[in-house]
Amino acid sequence: MTNDAAVFVIDDDESVRDAVTNLLEAVNLRPRAFASTEEFFQVGRPNSPSCLILDVQFPGTTGLQFQQSLNRAGLLIPIIFITAHGDVPTAMSAIKAGAVEFLMKPFQKQDLLSAVYRGLEMDRVWLEERANNSTIYSRFSELTNRENEVMQLVTAGLSNKEIGWQLGLSETTVKIHRGRVMQKMQANSLPDLVRMSDRLKRHLGA
Amino acid sequence: MRSCRVGWLRGAEFETLHRVGEMGESLSVSVAVAEPGEINTAALTSGGRLRSSSGRLNSRTKADLRLGRAFTYYAIAIFFVITSFALTFALQHFFPYPFLFFFFGAVVASAWFGGSKPGLFSVILSTLVIDYFFVPPYRSFSISSTAEAYFAAFVACALIASWVSSSKRKAEEELKEARDELEHRVSDRTAALMKTQGELAHLSRMMSMAELTASIVHEIGQPLTGIVSNGQACLEWLSADPLNAEKARRSADHVVRDGTRAGAVLDRIRALFKKGPPAKEWVNINELMEELVTLLRDEARRRQIRIQTYLSHDLPKVKVDRVQIQQVILNLILNAMDAMSEPAPTESKVFLISQQNPQQEIVIRVEDCGVGLNPDISEKIFDPFFTTKEHGIGIGLSISRSIVESHNGRIRAFPRALGGTVFEFTIPVSAGEL
Repeated sequence: MTNDAAVFVIDDDESVRDAVTNLLEAVNLRPRAFASTEEFFQVGRPNSPSCLILDVQFPGTTGLQFQQSLNRAGLLIPIIFITAHGDVPTAMSAIKAGAVEFLMKPFQKQDLLSAVYRGLEMDRVWLEERANNSTIYSRFSELTNRENEVMQLVTAGLSNKEIGWQLGLSETTVKIHRGRVMQKMQANSLPDLVRMSDRLKRHLGA
Repeated sequence: MRSCRVGWLRGAEFETLHRVGEMGESLSVSVAVAEPGEINTAALTSGGRLRSSSGRLNSRTKADLRLGRAFTYYAIAIFFVITSFALTFALQHFFPYPFLFFFFGAVVASAWFGGSKPGLFSVILSTLVIDYFFVPPYRSFSISSTAEAYFAAFVACALIASWVSSSKRKAEEELKEARDELEHRVSDRTAALMKTQGELAHLSRMMSMAELTASIVHEIGQPLTGIVSNGQACLEWLSADPLNAEKARRSADHVVRDGTRAGAVLDRIRALFKKGPPAKEWVNINELMEELVTLLRDEARRRQIRIQTYLSHDLPKVKVDRVQIQQVILNLILNAMDAMSEPAPTESKVFLISQQNPQQEIVIRVEDCGVGLNPDISEKIFDPFFTTKEHGIGIGLSISRSIVESHNGRIRAFPRALGGTVFEFTIPVSAGEL
């Protein structure tokens, strides 16, 4: 795994906190331990891939509440729940609420580590996607109003002629605008531009 | 193996519940031994069988014994009559008429000790002796006409005295027998009740245990997680290249630390739920309370309740049954937590207080911030089988009361000034010396 990957451990029980931290260190991960969720909130998450191992008393409610407050604080991070009281329904609700994994104490090393690696991978993809989205957005925001209109119609599948007719422009002018859009958005092909447009719609709509 | 154990436990529980039913009947009529034929415990029936078989075996010896005893009674009658004759004979010169009251004494005494037949025998004997020696003409069994009425009056009075004396004696003996029988039944019944109560107390502990299962699982699960993870980390450090001995050693240290912690949890649970004869030992009540709080920590967190302790730290040790007293405190804390389940109070706290009062008693108080006691039922809450809970069977507080009283303490409940209820019990500091 990458060296800058951070694994956060939140557990109010010293035994468990020490043990999990120790185990993660032993496999060359960089754990950071907190005794409470409040402490974690003060530090926040880094921009490098990271995940969170959280000990919960009742995964159903506390876990969900915690995730919501993370969302509100803009601290979205993959969570691995560990608990001493678990049953299938609570595990299911935790997974549905977006948990990477739900582990019963005492858990096996492989289960914890595979969950951690999965969490870090998820986070890496998230971060990448977010980075991509923001690049595309910054390119998109450099388009002029006219270029914006042309891009929307092009990605909707209209031909140059149809666009020109709809916008009251000559086909040649449309061609020039379209060339500029491709250039500014750094799109290699029309399908590439369509993909970017989809992403933008998701990013702006979300 | 596991299913077999469960079967055993169910059996024991069933038996106990069965006894609970029995005890319900007997408690409502205080000690119900006054009703004949109501005793049905195993101990008593086996005792009864023993007695009847011994009777059959010794029937010959018994007949011999009866004959010997009858002979003794008649001998006693003869002895009393001879004694009264001697006394009357010695005294007859001091009285103008035959002094016969000694013979009444002989008749009454013979009837008292020997019953109606020796009594009658002594009447006949006395009559003969009086007729021969003291009724004119003397030294003959004939009676002069002047002495007839006097003699007849004596015989009549003697007969009545004999009858009264023997029947009085008989009644007294029957009474004594009935009392002995009653005493026997009471002691048998008391033993059965004590046994039932011990089983009830254990059942109540088992029920508390069921309530605490999740908490116990958590208390053991935490150090176990530590052990497994530290152990695996230790292996990783050992197989790292180069080997990290320092980290491996620290991991092993933590394994030991967590293992010790798990052991301590098991000790606490065993101390709380063990089944055995009551045994008193010198105990620091505060330690007892702190152990319970540790065990209940997770349960309290689950119910989002804070347990706050205010323990007076200069309490003397007291000689009590650790398991029983812990059971009382546990009952009270669980009750306090139940009292705050709904409607949700403004403040979810249980206060656990220990102190010493001027009467040389240790006072243990459990306060909750719940809805409080309804005054109509506050008198009944310590009664057996009284409950306000849907899932309770109403033995917790009655068991608690009998435990506290067996330690010469008192238990009571009263409203808390700031809302909620206070349960308080006392243990005399001198309890151990009693």
